Amino acid sequence: MWIKLAFKLFSRELRRGELTIIFAAIALAVLTVFSLSSITERISLNIEQKSSDFIAADRRLSSNHAFEPEFLNNAKLHGLETAQMLVFDSMLFANNELVLGAVKAVTNAYPLRGKITIKDTLINQTYEVDEGPKTGSVWLSEGLFYTLNVKVGDEVELGAGVFIISKVLVNEPDAPFFSLSGNKRVLLNYDDIPTTKAVQPGSRVFHRLLFAGSKSQITNYYAWLKPQLRNNQNWEGIKDRQSPLGNNLDRAESFLLLAGLFGIMLAAVAMAVSAKRYCERQYDPVAMMKTLGGSRVTIRNIFLLHLSLVTIFSIIAGLVIGFVLQYIGAGYLAQFMGTELPQSGFRPWLLSTFIGVICALMFSLKPLLDLFDIPPLRVLRRNLGDTLALSRIHITVSLMTIFVLMWLFSGEIVTTLILFGSTLLVIAILFGISRLLFSVGRRLGLRPGSSWSLAIATLQKRANANAIQLISFALAIKLMLFLVVLKNDMISDWQMQVPEDAPNMFVINIAEQEVEPLKLFFRDNEIPHEAFYPVFSGRVDAVNGEEFARRLSKQEGEEKDKDAREGVSREPNLTWLDNLPEGNEIIEGQWFSDSDEIEVSVFDGWKDALDLTLGDTLTILVNEQKFNVKVTSFRKVNWGTLKPNFVMILSPNMAGKVPVTYFSAAQLQDSNTKNISQLLQRYPTISMIDIKSQIEQAQSIISQVTLAIGFVLSIVLISGGLVLVSQVQASLAERIQEVVILRTLGAKGRLIKLATLYEFLLLGAISGLVAAMISDIALLVIQQQLFNLDGRLHPYIWLLGPVSGATFVAIIGYVMVAKTMRQNTQGLLRKLS
Amino acid sequence: MSVRSQLNVIQVSGLSKCVSTLEGSLTILSDINFAVKSGESVAIVGASGSGKSTLLSLLAGLDVASQGEIYLDGDALSTLDEEARARVRAEKVGFVFQSFMLVQSLTALENVMLPAELAGDHDAKIQALSLLEKVGLSHRLAHYPSQLSGGEQQRVAIARAFVGSPKILFADEPSANLDSKNGYLIESLLFDLNKQNGTTLILVTHDEQLAKQCQRILHIEGGQLEKISEGVPVDVD
Repeated sequence: MWIKLAFKLFSRELRRGELTIIFAAIALAVLTVFSLSSITERISLNIEQKSSDFIAADRRLSSNHAFEPEFLNNAKLHGLETAQMLVFDSMLFANNELVLGAVKAVTNAYPLRGKITIKDTLINQTYEVDEGPKTGSVWLSEGLFYTLNVKVGDEVELGAGVFIISKVLVNEPDAPFFSLSGNKRVLLNYDDIPTTKAVQPGSRVFHRLLFAGSKSQITNYYAWLKPQLRNNQNWEGIKDRQSPLGNNLDRAESFLLLAGLFGIMLAAVAMAVSAKRYCERQYDPVAMMKTLGGSRVTIRNIFLLHLSLVTIFSIIAGLVIGFVLQYIGAGYLAQFMGTELPQSGFRPWLLSTFIGVICALMFSLKPLLDLFDIPPLRVLRRNLGDTLALSRIHITVSLMTIFVLMWLFSGEIVTTLILFGSTLLVIAILFGISRLLFSVGRRLGLRPGSSWSLAIATLQKRANANAIQLISFALAIKLMLFLVVLKNDMISDWQMQVPEDAPNMFVINIAEQEVEPLKLFFRDNEIPHEAFYPVFSGRVDAVNGEEFARRLSKQEGEEKDKDAREGVSREPNLTWLDNLPEGNEIIEGQWFSDSDEIEVSVFDGWKDALDLTLGDTLTILVNEQKFNVKVTSFRKVNWGTLKPNFVMILSPNMAGKVPVTYFSAAQLQDSNTKNISQLLQRYPTISMIDIKSQIEQAQSIISQVTLAIGFVLSIVLISGGLVLVSQVQASLAERIQEVVILRTLGAKGRLIKLATLYEFLLLGAISGLVAAMISDIALLVIQQQLFNLDGRLHPYIWLLGPVSGATFVAIIGYVMVAKTMRQNTQGLLRKLS
Repeated sequence: MSVRSQLNVIQVSGLSKCVSTLEGSLTILSDINFAVKSGESVAIVGASGSGKSTLLSLLAGLDVASQGEIYLDGDALSTLDEEARARVRAEKVGFVFQSFMLVQSLTALENVMLPAELAGDHDAKIQALSLLEKVGLSHRLAHYPSQLSGGEQQRVAIARAFVGSPKILFADEPSANLDSKNGYLIESLLFDLNKQNGTTLILVTHDEQLAKQCQRILHIEGGQLEKISEGVPVDVD
């Protein structure tokens, strides 16, 4: 019988709108979590796939020595796909031209991930293929065609072998983004290596084994492989963290995560407020039901059924809307990223459902328990039970729930703590303000003389009750301001990285005598260009005289030794500079002194990897020549820019000690193509690397991510609006009572309306001001800690906060209250009863 | 249980109620003794704060006494927990309140059906329709409380009070929120239904005229039963 009654009451409460806010809050939390976690998971999977493309495999094993045969055999036994690669330099000869090419010999399975881009001839369109050249043929990069003056179909001598040039090599997935080998690349079939006779004992070669397979296959294989790895064998993972795209997508992911946290936080506040209000509205019916003989069990069942129904329907609604939103969002992103985003797994479904259930349970549990405890005596003593409404347990449980939900969703304790802590600070400050107003308010009466004085007096008189509203408004405004400012900063930072006039071509391998003619060429053709950097390759051989490999053996764990080995096994490009380049920041030590000693400024990522301290002496090997250089500073490097960055920068007194080539970057237009061809023919050793496509890709992703961020922001704004609506709704009864009293006392309608409007304006302005102050401080921390952006204060939000707060709160509050105030006094009295 | 308590539908002996305040213990009712026979109408009168509403809440089992005993149709209330007291109320008691206490989300008919539904009665609707007809509201069945006048709301509350044919009807200032015309109508209805059903009526009021319509009047002052008027035989120890 109670079920019928419960459903009847439920349908009526739904129709009366009593459950709408709870429904909307849970649905909003669910759809926020679902759409964001689903999109971020799909983007992550996509990045992972793309990152695999960067190494043409899921994992790569590199060494300058041949691998033991069982490495390959065992990988096959573990079910992994494999490919072999050998990288070496060799002379190419054709048409009496001799040039050193960077050769990559690959087995037929290469690439395991990604595609090779080729052209049939220099003037044909590019297309993608899944495997490299057949035996007897080679693919050459465009620069070699000019240098050797050959065309597709010609023969070229590579080492001791003669090969047919069958294709123009445009790009391979693991092609170096920037290296001195630049545009002189050769792709050769692995079986043809013996024919070249270029690889002899003692030759400088790099062996690579490529692997692809499921996570578990790779994990199992690595478990077998790890104990057998030697120091010169380097196991490389995925995720190219230093790529500009990777960095930006990481930031976007963090932002979406953060926005999701805010969405949850706001939805949780709305849920807590509306659940409390709903339960309070049920005090009288419950007291009546108990008086009429309803048992505690019956009443408990009725209201638990209500909560269950709201929770189930709102979760379903949240999942459906969230699914549609992420479907549209992922479709949009896929369109602009030029690739289908992989489907997400069950995690978003489970996580969002779980968060919906937790939200419903935790935020309504205490109000519900209070409701069940309402004594039947309330039918005679009307205020009995009111004191149960706001208890410390309720506040503590709600706060803890919000914290756990944020932590659960973000998986980041530091971010969660910062956000949560700053929010508590807002609450404390606002509570202090409202207590202050209250203490002043006790000494003042209600002054209905003018709208402003009435508004202020009402605020003061009700300051205690307003404290909750003030806190909720401020929270909503704080989180919204926070996101708006962060979004602006992040996007402007991205736009700074890839400005409209960014260079789109790297020019490398410029000989010293070619620098001036090239500068002249750029000037004559009005081509904007960057400075000319001297560049040379060098390897860190020892630290403080200690051989490098021994230091490495101290590293433990896969992550650490992966980074360390990756960092030191390759020969980075080095330079010397007079001044600290743009995008670099000294975080320890000093920029170069006038000392005769050669000094070096090291990228801070290498500091930990190599266990360096200031004053250490590095031995750098350049062309068999050893140089001892002193570490005088560590630099933070913004790898997110598409500008040349260096792991090590040497002091200018290095000039003249080693042979160098120069490097620059220029912004070329399509109209420059003909002149460029002439330039390359005149200076065939110069190589040009086109980064236009990377820039275009970055710009397109930035614009799409900006779109996604705008979408998320609107979800957060809706959540914020919901908090405001639920708060105003919660205070509606009290407001009606006041309106009735004032009207009965003869106050004019206009006076009451204006007073209400001013009250909301003041509430919004105070909330907005405090929110702006705290947001700005929290932003400083978050920008530096989470987003790797330069933290700075934002004076404009100190104005934007109060203005937007006043506007937002006044509009929502006034619209809600005005509807009620249009009723006559009799109607309002009935509403109250 | 004594023979006398079986004859009386309400038997009160040595009843006291104290509450704790910041200043210490406050006695609201002290050593109250009386009995009410089945079908009798009794008014409880007294000034504001005299303790008459507290007495009503104790008699109806809405609150528990600090001392003494109340027998409600043979049930010793002090021996019952809240759930058991709720069962007693469901089976034997009806209520009418000053502020009507209707559930705002239910229609007039549904409000009247509520006690029967809570008790699990399957003929809740038949009972409710009949009672609403008796109080003259058969044309307002689907109206919500906010769509009814004060007098109509109180008539709905009276119809609800008689669902399940309770032995005792407690009425707390039933006409205080109504104008004199509606107040008179409500009072007449209460006494008529009381007589028709043979229900015992316990009426709390500070309206002397209304009180005089009852067979006996209990005068409460300062938490004590000062006198019983109308000379109807009542045991006062």
